[in-house]
Amino acid sequence: MGIPGIVPARFLTLIAHLVITWIIFWSRGDNILACLPQSYSQDEYNRKDMQLVVGLSVSLGLIAVELVGFFTGISMFMPTVALVSIASHASGSIALAYFIFDVWDCDLYWWVFSFCSCTPALLEISTAFAVIVLKKGL
Amino acid sequence: MAVIQVYSHAIQQKYKASVCSKATFFQLCVFILTVVPPLIFAYKSQGFWLKLSSYVEQPDIRFKYQLLVILDTADDYLAWSTFQNFNSLQQSHIRIPLVKSREEDVNRDGKKDLLHFSLEMPVTDTEDIFALQLLLFFDYRLYKFSEFTMESMAYVHHSAMQSGAEYSTDGHLILVQRQPLAHRGVDSRYNNTSIDQESIFAEAYDFKRIFKEYNSRNVTTRYDADYSVWVRGRGSGMPFTITITVRYPEESVTYTPGFWQVMKDAWIQYLAVLIIFVLVFDRIKKYVFKNQLVTTIVDRRVKPHDT
Repeated sequence: MGIPGIVPARFLTLIAHLVITWIIFWSRGDNILACLPQSYSQDEYNRKDMQLVVGLSVSLGLIAVELVGFFTGISMFMPTVALVSIASHASGSIALAYFIFDVWDCDLYWWVFSFCSCTPALLEISTAFAVIVLKKGL
Repeated sequence: MAVIQVYSHAIQQKYKASVCSKATFFQLCVFILTVVPPLIFAYKSQGFWLKLSSYVEQPDIRFKYQLLVILDTADDYLAWSTFQNFNSLQQSHIRIPLVKSREEDVNRDGKKDLLHFSLEMPVTDTEDIFALQLLLFFDYRLYKFSEFTMESMAYVHHSAMQSGAEYSTDGHLILVQRQPLAHRGVDSRYNNTSIDQESIFAEAYDFKRIFKEYNSRNVTTRYDADYSVWVRGRGSGMPFTITITVRYPEESVTYTPGFWQVMKDAWIQYLAVLIIFVLVFDRIKKYVFKNQLVTTIVDRRVKPHDT
């Protein structure tokens, strides 16, 4: 309860990551063109598009999971979880901002996904497991 | 009574942790995030490694007093040069002109600034000159960075529809670089003569061959003359006069910078971005360690009761 500003910081970075993922959802055209060769077929485009859509949707889902864990207070006051969450989502937001502005290859999205979406979500799920099932930290 | 601050000093607070701990891991991550991104930023915004630079120098040019002149009449030509073997090959085409030349150092800085050159070819009244080709040879030196020496050439040529009495031109001997020079050392790759004086074969004096070899070089000079005058109407008994002013301008020379110059330039760019990252992450670290987001042993230098 005593650390000033950590709850707002975590909330803001989560929301920033959410917003930017949502934006990529709607403006993914250029990024898909960036990872296709000069001459491509519509099938290849659709395949890459589908992959990116799946990645973005899973990312949105994981952020939703984390928000649920955060709002229900399961991990709201755990410093380590907060630190990892803030660091992952902040670096994720910055990386995705570069993704949009510098029109990165759509394959690079998976790197950002694994480090900045999966890590905090997995940590959140394991914390929830530890708190609810194993009764730790209460 | 009014109180002012007379002095202040910082109290150092140390945070210690064992080697395998969250705190050490956090510090390591932050260290990498402080040191590596500035390098990436500085590199991706172009111009990190200095590949090319330039310096300004007035070259040390001296006329070698070697020349080759060919004048075309209606159905024949006249020639002369300072090369004995060329003159022997020309046989009946030889005509000996009166050549005057003088180099002048206008600003008295020890380097010549221009060459006044005049050539008067005696011609009969029936010989009408329609074209001229003249080669002048210079010794070209640069000293500031690498010691660069080369033989340079000025090619003056003109052809007209009407016969001429005088051809006068004023231009600059400019440096043409296809490759940057070195930043140090002695560079005399092009210090060999374009015309082999010892040769008795006509190919040695063939303009096509001379120009092909000269132009194959990576560093040459060119006589750049936009201001030339072809004067018509030669009086009877008058020679055909060629008056040339060759100016030696100050040149901007491109060179490949050396290792330490490149490093200095790169370091300045890196440091400029690093300082921002250091300041930002210092604030973050202060927040994290002060609020014990990662647990450490807090070691206060000055205990509250100490003086």
